[in-house]
Amino acid sequence: MRSRIHPLVGLLAIATFVLLYAPLMAVAVFSVNASRVGTVWRGFTLRWYARLLDNPAVLEAAWNSLVLAAASTAIATVLGTALAMALARFPWPKGVRRLLDLLVYLPVVTPDILFAAALVVAYQFLRAVSGAFNPGLLTMVLGHVTFQIAFVALVVGSRLATMGRTLDEAARDLYATPSVVFRRVTLPLLAPGIAAGAMLAFTLSLDDFVISFFTAGPDSTTLPLYIYASLRRGITPELHALSTLIVLATVLLVVSLEALTRYRKD
Amino acid sequence: MRRVAALALAALALGCSQAEKPKPQVTVYMYSEYIDPELPREFEAQTGIRVRLDVYEATEEMMAKLQQAGGASQYDVVVVSDHAIPVLTKLGLLQPLEAAKLPNAKNVSPQFANPPYDPGSKYSLPYQWGTMGLLYRKDKVPQAAELSWSLLLEPAKQPGLFVLIDSMRDMMAVALKMHGASVNSRKPDEVRAASDLILAAKRSTRCLGFEGGVGGKNKVADGTATLAVVYSGDALKACQENDQLAYGVPREGSIIWVDAMTIPVNAPNPDAAHQFINFILDAKVGARLSEFTCYATPNAASLPLLKQEDRENPAIYPPEETLKKLEYLEDLGDDSKLYDEIWTAVKAR
Amino acid sequence: MAELRRANVRALPLIVWYGRLVTRRRLWGEGALLGLGAVVWLLVLLVLPMIALVALAFAQRGPYGEITWDFTTENFRRLLGYGAFGWSADYVRILGRSLWVAFVTTVLCVALSYPLAFFIAGRSRVTRYVLLGLAIVPFCTNLVIRTYGWMMIFRFVPAEAGLYPGPFAVFVGMVSSELPFALLPLYAVVERLDWSLVEAARDLYASRPRVFLHAIVPQTLPGLAAATILTFIPAIGAFVVPDLLGGAKYMLVGNLIQQQFGASRDLPFGAAVSLALLILTLVGLFVIHRPARQEAAR
Repeated sequence: MRSRIHPLVGLLAIATFVLLYAPLMAVAVFSVNASRVGTVWRGFTLRWYARLLDNPAVLEAAWNSLVLAAASTAIATVLGTALAMALARFPWPKGVRRLLDLLVYLPVVTPDILFAAALVVAYQFLRAVSGAFNPGLLTMVLGHVTFQIAFVALVVGSRLATMGRTLDEAARDLYATPSVVFRRVTLPLLAPGIAAGAMLAFTLSLDDFVISFFTAGPDSTTLPLYIYASLRRGITPELHALSTLIVLATVLLVVSLEALTRYRKD
Repeated sequence: MRRVAALALAALALGCSQAEKPKPQVTVYMYSEYIDPELPREFEAQTGIRVRLDVYEATEEMMAKLQQAGGASQYDVVVVSDHAIPVLTKLGLLQPLEAAKLPNAKNVSPQFANPPYDPGSKYSLPYQWGTMGLLYRKDKVPQAAELSWSLLLEPAKQPGLFVLIDSMRDMMAVALKMHGASVNSRKPDEVRAASDLILAAKRSTRCLGFEGGVGGKNKVADGTATLAVVYSGDALKACQENDQLAYGVPREGSIIWVDAMTIPVNAPNPDAAHQFINFILDAKVGARLSEFTCYATPNAASLPLLKQEDRENPAIYPPEETLKKLEYLEDLGDDSKLYDEIWTAVKAR
Repeated sequence: MAELRRANVRALPLIVWYGRLVTRRRLWGEGALLGLGAVVWLLVLLVLPMIALVALAFAQRGPYGEITWDFTTENFRRLLGYGAFGWSADYVRILGRSLWVAFVTTVLCVALSYPLAFFIAGRSRVTRYVLLGLAIVPFCTNLVIRTYGWMMIFRFVPAEAGLYPGPFAVFVGMVSSELPFALLPLYAVVERLDWSLVEAARDLYASRPRVFLHAIVPQTLPGLAAATILTFIPAIGAFVVPDLLGGAKYMLVGNLIQQQFGASRDLPFGAAVSLALLILTLVGLFVIHRPARQEAAR
């Protein structure tokens, strides 16, 4: 039911949207600015975008970001879904349930940098003991999966909660074996939840900066790391072009995935 | 389902086997904008070894990578500042160079052949050397004759926006020189006084913060700042592109430094590392390198190949009187802790 | 029947669970197998490293930045201010500042999210989806990009004004990056708001603020609690935004930790600071959660 909204509310809402989009607009506008030096407008150009394609470091960083996100999402989705099912579909005693809930919430309530610091220490130790675990894609995947599991488990868990038991029990009543129930009933119903969890995990990994910063090696730079390192040397128009491309790609990804899930539901 | 799994496994196996035979590669770690991009390509054309370049902005960042983040087993060649080499040696992070693989080592100038920071040149061979000073806009700063660090550190004299350098020993050296102390001072009151100077400067609204040498140079070059603490080569490159800028060593003095090439103890490809170092020490390569970076070359065989205007440029090759005011940074051993703590305090307050 | 109820149900080995007749033990076994992968992963890569971090906080740093495993509480003393140069409140100030920034950011985010949530909830179905999508997009975008977008905008502001780099810029950056985290949970509850209660309050001639405080807010409490937690935690550990928008002039806990693990190469001290951050986070969570839980209980 709609109610009258005070015009101030509307004004604040619009101001908030402006606040959210201001930095992205700024980057987009300057990415087509023909001036090399920031503040003056010198005409429209796409040459900074062209230069990006010539830059092997950028292409490599983009590739690394994608590989990292794909690998970690795959692992985290499997583990996270399994965890969510284990938590929701089994009669744990209260103490055990509390402990497991704590474990799942731990990555969510820990600030990124704490977790990253702990990983650095852990990897140092592992390196001393085994000689492996050098900073690189492996260490980054391990780090990403760890925080992704929790998010996937939470999303899938909430989907499981809304799903309820009735359909599963109905299938059982019809003499289906547990594995058939899982394959034909539970999994299809759960699919949107798993997809949402996977999408969340993928986005989190692509955008992650802090954990990647502390666990990356010389040939495993990701896009956020590349941008940060370039920033420390000075802002260049190529950077604007790169950032705008990333934003556009993200928007496309989000929109298409939203459309997919909505289409699926219908 | 099983077919999918089998396919996936096959793809994985194929991927792994491809990964077993990469092109030979040498991974080099140095300051940003410190090598002519043509040179790695030439090296690859000559030897077939691909050069992978990774960059850092400050010595401490490089040391953290080598010491904690396993950098010692991921890089083949690391360009290190002179004062950091004894530390890395003591920590066992460098491996001795094999003279047999380095025929061009004889090109090194005698003054750099047996340096105090690395007796006998066991672990390192020099790459470039230079000074540190002020890069400034000529229109905002009265002429170079009385260039002084006070333009940076004394609020009354600051001509405009400025950038401090984000490297502990270098920034502290600036402040210590202002009070006439040695850049290697171990006296707590001198160090404290220096840090107070930096703090006062940092708090001014005209301070744009701390940046690496290259970052500071870029800020002055694009007009955001009026002056910055920059290394000689970076500054001169900026001056070449923009004649509104100038570089000078302030009258209180500054530091003179040598960056040297080293090989970390667990380098993945030490042979390629030696080949790269030998390549850099070639007379012609050394000359081209210095021409690009605008730094001074430690390579005696390259000196005659340089452009005359570079050889006679006092900013690159300082005259006797300037040299007297320049000090080398030394490793402070146990007293490093003093500087580390005061630097954390400077950044934190 | 009564006997069955009085008897300890757990004594019965068999239960009916999702249509299966099976013992609890067997279910626990299956459940453990299912969740094993994730639990082991989390234990090894999350819990153990954090324990190692705590242990490291009591170690020492050698003269060249190595870690020497001699037990010491030196790092904590240093954190409280007793450094080589006598007592100074530096680190305590940073910790306090971080708490303050996180708190203000959370308040601002919530304050801006309420109007936005109401605005969106009041639109038609299609517009709602569009607006929500628009609000989520910045959230999915990279934090580094958004932050340096602000750097570009602040370049137009004269540096003498002290806004950038400085606390104002940091707050702007933090609020704009955390907002979507506050918006989504709040919107979820605002959408399901029972307007009849609001109507009732208005019928009773309650003034606008009272309507808000007593009819609206209590209904939105679960969303509010989630929003504050989701904003507070990233805010207190933030280091990208203060690093890029505050320069080295406005240091927060996240920057301090980054510095110790990087340029200062003092891992034990970094670990001690991390521990302090953990305690701050727990304190913050406790402070937020407690009144929310009390309200919910009422």
